[in-house]
This record gives sequence, C-alpha cells and structure tokens, in this order.
Amino acid sequence: MRKRLAAFLSTEAEGGPSTAGTAVFWILGCTASGFLLIGWLLPWFVGPYDAGVGFSAQDALVSAPTGIGTILIYVLAVAMVVLLLSPLAEVVMRLRGRTLGRRADRIRLYLGIGGVVLTGVVWLLYRVVQEEPLFGQVQPGEISDSAIWLTMYGFALAALVYGARRWVIGRQTLAFGTAALPFGVFLPLMFHQAPDFLLWAAGSLAIYMLLALGLNVVVGFAGLLDLGYAAFFAIGAYACASFASPIHNIHWPLWILIFVGAAIASLFGAILGAPTLRLRGDYLAIVTLGFGEIIPDLATNNVFNLTGGPNGISGIDQPHWGFLDFSESPRWYYWSLLLVSIAVIVLLRNIERSRVGRAWVALREDEVAAAATGINTTTTKLLAFAIGASVSGLAGAFYGSLVTVVTPDDFSFSVSIAVLSIVVLGGIGNIAGVILGSVILTFVIFWALPNMDAWSTTLSSTVHVPALANIDFGSYTYIIYGIALILMMLFRPGGLLPSRARRIELESAGESESLAAVQGIA
Amino acid sequence: MALLELDSVTKRFGGLLAVSSVSFNLDRGEILSMIGPNGAGKTTAFNCVTGLFPITSGQIRLDGVSISGLPPHRITKLGIARTFQNIRLFAFMTAVDNVMVGAHWWMKERVWDGAFKTKRARGEERSVQQRALSLLDQLGLSRYAGSYAREMPYGLQRKLEIARALATQPRLLLLDEPAAGLNSQEKVELMQLIARLRDEGLTILLIEHDMRLVMEVSHRIVVLDHGEKIAEGSPAEVRTNPRVIEAYLGTGASEATRSA
Repeated sequence: MRKRLAAFLSTEAEGGPSTAGTAVFWILGCTASGFLLIGWLLPWFVGPYDAGVGFSAQDALVSAPTGIGTILIYVLAVAMVVLLLSPLAEVVMRLRGRTLGRRADRIRLYLGIGGVVLTGVVWLLYRVVQEEPLFGQVQPGEISDSAIWLTMYGFALAALVYGARRWVIGRQTLAFGTAALPFGVFLPLMFHQAPDFLLWAAGSLAIYMLLALGLNVVVGFAGLLDLGYAAFFAIGAYACASFASPIHNIHWPLWILIFVGAAIASLFGAILGAPTLRLRGDYLAIVTLGFGEIIPDLATNNVFNLTGGPNGISGIDQPHWGFLDFSESPRWYYWSLLLVSIAVIVLLRNIERSRVGRAWVALREDEVAAAATGINTTTTKLLAFAIGASVSGLAGAFYGSLVTVVTPDDFSFSVSIAVLSIVVLGGIGNIAGVILGSVILTFVIFWALPNMDAWSTTLSSTVHVPALANIDFGSYTYIIYGIALILMMLFRPGGLLPSRARRIELESAGESESLAAVQGIA
Repeated sequence: MALLELDSVTKRFGGLLAVSSVSFNLDRGEILSMIGPNGAGKTTAFNCVTGLFPITSGQIRLDGVSISGLPPHRITKLGIARTFQNIRLFAFMTAVDNVMVGAHWWMKERVWDGAFKTKRARGEERSVQQRALSLLDQLGLSRYAGSYAREMPYGLQRKLEIARALATQPRLLLLDEPAAGLNSQEKVELMQLIARLRDEGLTILLIEHDMRLVMEVSHRIVVLDHGEKIAEGSPAEVRTNPRVIEAYLGTGASEATRSA
C-alpha cells in the first residue's frame, strides 16, 4: 500500500513517459477541487460576520430559493461534487492498478465547462435579477463576487486538467503557474474586502510566518538549535513600542521602525551568539532558552524605566499616511505584511543559494571540515544569529504596531515553542515547507482549536448526540495539539515539505535500520 | 627556502605526548610522506599544521612566517588545504556545492550581494560554479555534480574531498590516507592524480599506509613512532632503516632482517 502510494506520487512512474506526470496531473486536479471548495464555502464562513445574521448550510437548504436558481444550484452542486471527489477517485483507482479512462475524462471536461458557464449565469442572475441563489444572504458585492470568481476558476481549471491531459503534462510549469495564479493574485485581493477578523488572522499568520522564516535560518540552515527565539521578537516589539508611543514621547513612523527593530534585534542576536559560539546542540539550546527567559523578565522588571513593567507599553502609534489609515482597519497591516513577507522570502531564498547560505549548510554538516575549508566559523554563526534575529525583530515591530500594546507575557516560552514547531512541522531548512507549516499551524492554533467547542456543540445538535456538546474541548486544546504534532512526526518526520536533504537522510536511515534488522536475524 | 617548516613541534593531550618535538622541512614542489604505525601521531601532526589543534610548543612556519596559533580558516587562506582520514564531506550538499564551499574564502560576494543578487554576485557565482564543474570534470566526477556527497560511491567521495581542497587554491595540500578503502584501480588513478598535481607545482604532504603508493610517489619520507620522528630520507633509505623496520614489525624483526 505504502509502496504503491509512493509510486503513485512519484513523477517518474515505472511505466515510462506515458504515465509520467501523474502527480502533476493529480495535484492540479486537487487544486481545482480546492478552488471549488473555497469558492463554495467562503460565503458561509464569512457570511455571518458580514451580514450579521446566523447562517449555516442548513439554512441554505431550508430557505433555498425557488425557480431557475434552484435548478442551477442542483446542477452546479452535482458538477462540483463530481469534480471535488475525482482526485480521490483517481487515487483509489491507481491503488487498485487501474485508471479511470478517457470517458471519465470527457465527462469531467464537460462538467468543468458547464460549471464555468452555469456559474457565469448564476453571477448574472445575482447581478442583474438581484436574485441570489447560491450564496445566500450576504452583503451584495464583495465576498460573493470573489467566491464566484474562485468557483469559476476551479471549474475552468478542472476542464483544463481533465480535457487536456497531455498538454498539461507537457507544460508543467505553465500549468502550475496558472493553477497558482488565484493564490497569488485573487486571494490577496479578496482579503482586501474581507472582514476585520480575517485580516487580523492573516496579519498574525504573516507575523508567525516571518518568525518561522527567521528561525529557519538559525535552526534549518545553520543547524543551531535556538529555544529562546521569542526574545528577538520581544526586542523588535519593544523597540517599536518605545519609539512610537507616548511612553518616551517619541513618534517615529512604522517604516523606519521595522528597520530599527530588525537592526536592534540583529545586534542582540550577535550578542547572544558570541558567548554560545563554542556550544553545540543541547548546550546551545539551554543557553538560548535562558536568553529567551531573561528578556521578558527584564521587560517585567522595567529595566532603566524603558519597558513599562508588567503592564507593558500601550498606545503604540498606528501609521496614518494620507488615505492609508492603519488604525481604521487591519487591512493596511495585511498589505504591508504581505509585501514585507514576500520581500523577506525572496531575500532569504537568495541568501540560501549564495556564498553565505552554502557556508551555513557546510557549518551544519561538519564544523571541522568547514573550518578547514576556509570558512570563518565565528562570523558565519554570528551572521546566522543576526540575520535570523533581524527577521524576528522586523516581525516584532509590526506586531507592536498592529496590536498597539506589548506586554512581557506576549513573548513567553510558548511563543518560541510554537515557532519552532512551525519550522519542524513544515520542514526544517525548506522555506516553502516553513511557509506551509506557518499557514497550517496558525490556522490550527488561532482558528481550529478555539472553535472546537462551538463545533462540537453544533455537531451534537445536528447528529443528536448530546454527549458531544458536554465535552469541554477548550480544556483539551493543548492535548489535541500535542497529539497532532506527535502523529505528524511519526508519519512525516521530515515535516510537511521536507527539504531534499532531510528526505534522503530519512530514507537512508530507514535502509540502515532494516539492514540492522537483517543482521540481527542473521 | 622551505615552504613548510616544522620546528620541534610538540602536542600534548593531558598526560599523552601525541607529537613530541617533531621537526622537518617541506620544499616547494616536493611530495613528502609521513608514515608510521597507528597512533604514531601523524594525523595529530596534520591537525596541528592546519590549526585544528593548538600546538603545545614549537613553531610551524609557512614561507618563513609562523602560522602556529592561527585559526583553521586563516591557515586555509594562507594556502594550506587538507583532506580527512575519515571522509568529512558536507554530506547533504551536492558535489558541486561541496567544491564551491572551497571557493568560499576567496569569493568577494558579501551577504547583501547574495541577498539582492547583485551583478557581482551573479557573475561570481557563475564563474565559481564553472570552475567547480571543471574541477569535478578533471577528477572524473562530473556525473555526480548534482548528487549529494553521501550518495556518491566511497572512492569518489575521497576524490571529491581532494576537489574541495583544491578549490581553496592551495600551495600545500595535506592528504590524510587518501588511498584508504580504495580498490587497486582507484589507487592507480590516485597515484596518477598525485603525480599530476605535483607536475602542476603543488606541494604535497601525504599520510598513507599503502607502502607501494608511498614508495612510488614520494620524494622523501618522514617516519613517526610514538609521536617522535624516528627516520627521514628517500624511500630507499627509509625502507632499509632498522629503526623503521623495528617500529613496524617489532624488535625481533629488525634483528632478523639484519642477519638475513
């Protein structure tokens, strides 16, 4: 089963070029499904907040509009369900050693094209006739529009994938580019219209992502375990708070403060790095852990009257540049963070593939050999600490400005651990993996875990199992989180998207283990 | 003047005298082999020369300038490169990246060049990569340029270590048992490689247990035993030196050879 799954997922299937690219094809199919799903569900997630009226799937069925709209909904729903499930069907068939065949492809092509057309009709109905068959009672315009575009995109992509298999396989980059386009362009634009709570979530997601990207430089690239990473986050946030609040009566603009925060944090990164240069592994971890505890403690004790003690610093400025009023909505933070994140990702990726990036990996792989090959281990390590810390300081400055209050409690050990688990879960040393990890973990931490109680209550009333409502999921959140992490590490020890190095390491570890077993028997 | 001078170099680990007052010179373009039984202090001497161990007393000079006490990367910059007895490649870097790390110290690219991909960074990356590839090609490793070092066959890993050392543009190359674990074909290739490097003007200090290889390529041989230099001379001289035979085969053996 496992082998078959591996064979299915590998692009070089044993059948040669004819079956090559199966994975590409399948991933694209899943992407199409994803768009359909997002497009469909989006109004229901967003709806209640936008319209101020409770709204659920049940309501949609009960209050389904009549007439042409109803018919369209059911046709669309069938097309959608078929296309949604078809990647699953592909897997099942592949595991049984068969394929779905050309006829299934043809059907799905028609469903895809039909879906595009019908969604267009729905959109027209909604715009022209002011009837709103699919998306229920949300405020006119914004989210529903985005949802419709996404749905149409999903249908179009499905039509492309199932209708032009060979074309897609021949032009993988183009196909992936097309598939990713909405994520790159439409989703960010959609967020612009999203309600504040979603923008807040996107903002905290970006901040956690920046933290994880910075930590990945230290832990992933240079191989230095850092358990006190939140300290640099705190330094960046307090820098922002000190220079843009009434506490010292300094009011610098945010765009200067992100550099100030980054610079101060990187300075502290180097200061922490210096005494730990000779330490490795566990010892290094303990020292960084201590540093991570010291910084919030200093803030609590209000050293030099700088930090405002246990209550922290409040009233941090929010920028107001012309029509860009940051205090009006988290929207502008979302856009700035998006831009900054993209810049940071590009810069870190460039550094990873440059002279310094190679030196970090060399240091991680073998410090002695690296030194004997002409790498100055001292400066290289300090550089890793400083660059990692500067990204964190930058995130801290944004955090301070976004929440307008910083207190020592915001930078506790659990923040360091959360960031570290993002890096590990996503894939140590792989930027793409870290991004994915931060998306998933922030989603879990900030959305799934807090909402678990509400869901179980809803579920219990839907399926009439009152016991479900009595489970207090709120008190089990960390247990659930922990179990999820353990399962993750058991089944995907390299993280969601392991770096190439980790993948090969784990594979060969498996080999030598089985070898040991064989030798044990013999 | 000699390229490398060891002047009564001593290295002590606590109570253990690993290298005891060893002196010898290495001339330009020369291949000098260091031999001796296991634990004689050969690798320790190497580690002292390359700055991995600080020496307890004595002097090491390169081109007449003292290098004792310098950190390893400074010594590499001065022109000494080495390989390791138990291969120490960067296991999870590609072969070409391993070699490019060798170019680290003389590359001009700074962090911001790399981060912003400036013209300088791109040009230098490309030229260094070209050099690395041609170095791999010369050593017959081009097929593995894109594989991780640890995915390569053992014999080729040894060669890759030499390629990485050569990328640092050394004047003096220290090879620590380069033939260990190689088959006879690979040993022949290694011998040819060493001869070629010598012809290109590289000075080589070699630790090796394979006597055939040592006798064939070396100009001179230094013999260590229990951290002390017990003999020095041409291969022919060393081969017949009774103290050397004693060190390798025991006291009885030297008597036996003398009487034979």
